Amino acid sequence: MDFDFSDDQQQLRDAVAKWVDKGYSFERRRAIEDAGGFSREAWDELAELGLGGLLIPEDDGGLGMGAVEMMVVMEELGRGIVLEPLAQSFIAGAVLAGHADEATRTEWLPRIAGGQALVVLAQQEKKARYRLDVCEAQAAKAGSGYTVTGAKSVVPAGDQADAYLVPARLDGKIALFLVPRSEDGVAARGYGTQDGSRAAEVVFDKAAAALVAADGLPVLEHAVDIGIAAACAEGVGAMDKMLALTVEYLNTRKQFGVLIGSFQALRHRAADMKMQLELARSMSYYANLKLGAPAAERRQAAARAKYQLGVSMRFVSQSAVQMHGGIGVTDEYVGSHYFRKLTQMEMTYGDTLHHLSEVSARMQDTAGVFA
Amino acid sequence: MDLAFTPEEQKFREDVRAWVAEHLPKETARKVHNALELTREDIQGWAKILGKKGWLGYGWPKEFGGPGWTAVQRHLFEEECALAGAPRIIPFGPVMVAPVIMAFGSPEQQKRFLPGIASGEVWWSQGYSEPGSGSDLASLRTRAERKGDKYVINGQKTWTTLGQYGDWMFNLVRTSTEGKPQTGISFIVLDMKSPGVTVRPIKLMDGGFEVNDVFFDNVEVPAENLIGEENKGWTYAKHLLSHERTNIADVNRAKRELERLKRIAKAEGVWDDLRFRDEIARLEVDIVALEMLVLRVLSAATSGKNSLDIAGLLKIKGSEIQQRYSELMMLAGGPFSLPLIREAMHAGWQGDFPGGNPTLAPLASTYFNMRKTTIYGGSNEVQRNIVAQTVLG
Repeated sequence: MDFDFSDDQQQLRDAVAKWVDKGYSFERRRAIEDAGGFSREAWDELAELGLGGLLIPEDDGGLGMGAVEMMVVMEELGRGIVLEPLAQSFIAGAVLAGHADEATRTEWLPRIAGGQALVVLAQQEKKARYRLDVCEAQAAKAGSGYTVTGAKSVVPAGDQADAYLVPARLDGKIALFLVPRSEDGVAARGYGTQDGSRAAEVVFDKAAAALVAADGLPVLEHAVDIGIAAACAEGVGAMDKMLALTVEYLNTRKQFGVLIGSFQALRHRAADMKMQLELARSMSYYANLKLGAPAAERRQAAARAKYQLGVSMRFVSQSAVQMHGGIGVTDEYVGSHYFRKLTQMEMTYGDTLHHLSEVSARMQDTAGVFA
Repeated sequence: MDLAFTPEEQKFREDVRAWVAEHLPKETARKVHNALELTREDIQGWAKILGKKGWLGYGWPKEFGGPGWTAVQRHLFEEECALAGAPRIIPFGPVMVAPVIMAFGSPEQQKRFLPGIASGEVWWSQGYSEPGSGSDLASLRTRAERKGDKYVINGQKTWTTLGQYGDWMFNLVRTSTEGKPQTGISFIVLDMKSPGVTVRPIKLMDGGFEVNDVFFDNVEVPAENLIGEENKGWTYAKHLLSHERTNIADVNRAKRELERLKRIAKAEGVWDDLRFRDEIARLEVDIVALEMLVLRVLSAATSGKNSLDIAGLLKIKGSEIQQRYSELMMLAGGPFSLPLIREAMHAGWQGDFPGGNPTLAPLASTYFNMRKTTIYGGSNEVQRNIVAQTVLG
């Protein structure tokens, strides 16, 4: 049992933190949001750091790293509320490396690793809310390949992506496909989301698809758990920064002739923010370190962690805005953008009530980190 | 980073588990698992069994006869004891006064006091709080006046846990009124059978007698009972707190009580009520998160790489969890948490409990009793002040 980061992991953190500090200023982020919420230039810069291939084996052109490295990177991206959805490359990289056939691997993995290809998970359907087993999209055999027909919603950077990982029913059973955006029959309608990033409604009409996994639901669950673990780490980074902003404000803002950080009501709220942050950090470690565990254990850990993160993200973000007073609700102030990010993350890959019901349904007689 | 314990630690856990299973009296474990009243013999009996094995002072270094375990080993030992249903080790001797005597006591004092603590033969009590000194402990007024080779002590201590069983007592007493309140405090141990010591149990709202007032009326204590130097007592008391103390979170007991809560909820039919079960699920996540927090502190203590100054968080969260499980157990009992039948809280009671499930008998009392957890050991409001200090400066 060891929660220290290795020197290599620390170097990775420093490299990402340096890029966020120097290369992803608030002004640049604002410009990207105004321009639609996704910047290919920023994406390329992340790729130059090698981050796209973090979870992709070295034989496939990646770095062959693991969950802890992903967590480190996501914490730093969260600290800078980076809009570009790097976690999608982690999901796609892990799923394709783990399940796709040789041809698909060869075609896509090196390009995901190099940042030339943005491959995103397109699982959301209108009637599914946060359930993964609700899927109306249909797949059919077509010659030596397949086609996919259906509609997916709120797909991250969906009108910028180069390909989608799409669950669709093949002979009644959920299977997972890779569909390039360039295929005939793919139409994406993009829009901005609450946190300033970008998503799209994507319609597939007999679009040519490569089969990734015939037994798709367990793979989809694994993909979403990677997304949850990444979101947990990202949330920790964003909360870390939001608490730091709040501390700085409490220690500079004066009212009634004194620093407002001298008021016990605010000090106790700051202490409670620290509590929620550390519980969240603990559960982020937990979710990430359990990513390699057997499916049931991994799913349970992801649900527990995302529930905790949801509680923490809402408390920290709401408290931070409250303690900033009026300035906290302005667009001009950076803190409000963290508020929007943390709010969106609560509703990504299952909100707090959804994961509470997951935890509730999975409860056993005994419970703990190791059970 | 690695979540798993090492194979050596796993082996250690298994060895402790096997030993506890063999040596923990079954009847004692049954009482603990059902929150039935523990007698002095139940508590001290287990302490003596541990003492014989050399494990009562489980946090002690080898040079003082302890096992010299790592922080992780201590955690695993605590967990195995808690899950098996062992009574809590009463901390005042082995966990609280012993480290002070080791660090600041003379070799004579170490020789005199440590063996009785290690064996569990001598029951120690704590004399810190006073009627006028709760959270503001440094304002304490119990006086110790040096007269020749003796101290004469006058004053009153309170909230002395299980002081009715106490043989010896360690006290913070005022030996000077010069300077800051903290600088006039000394650490003195005394025999509770000394003339002038009166112990008066305090009845609490759960009907039990867990804490006491202790009165000192011209109690004469030999000067050699002063630990360390005069007027340095506050430093010694703080030394205790500076030790890495993950057991303050009591997460292992919380895991055991969560199991019990689920048993009760199933027996009473509320397990299938999703509103109720979701509350248990929230608690389960709280406990897992607290356990992770504890493991992080242990890891930091082991590697020494990054210090985690979060004892306040452990206290706050741990105590809130204890209150919550006791509350949910009582609510799970529903109307049959209401009958107050004290005999039903004793092992061996054969009566006819209203509703037919006598395991519900202690639930409301336990809930009442647990209100203490957010008050003692530095109230949670004081803890928030401390946490805020580390966050805000």
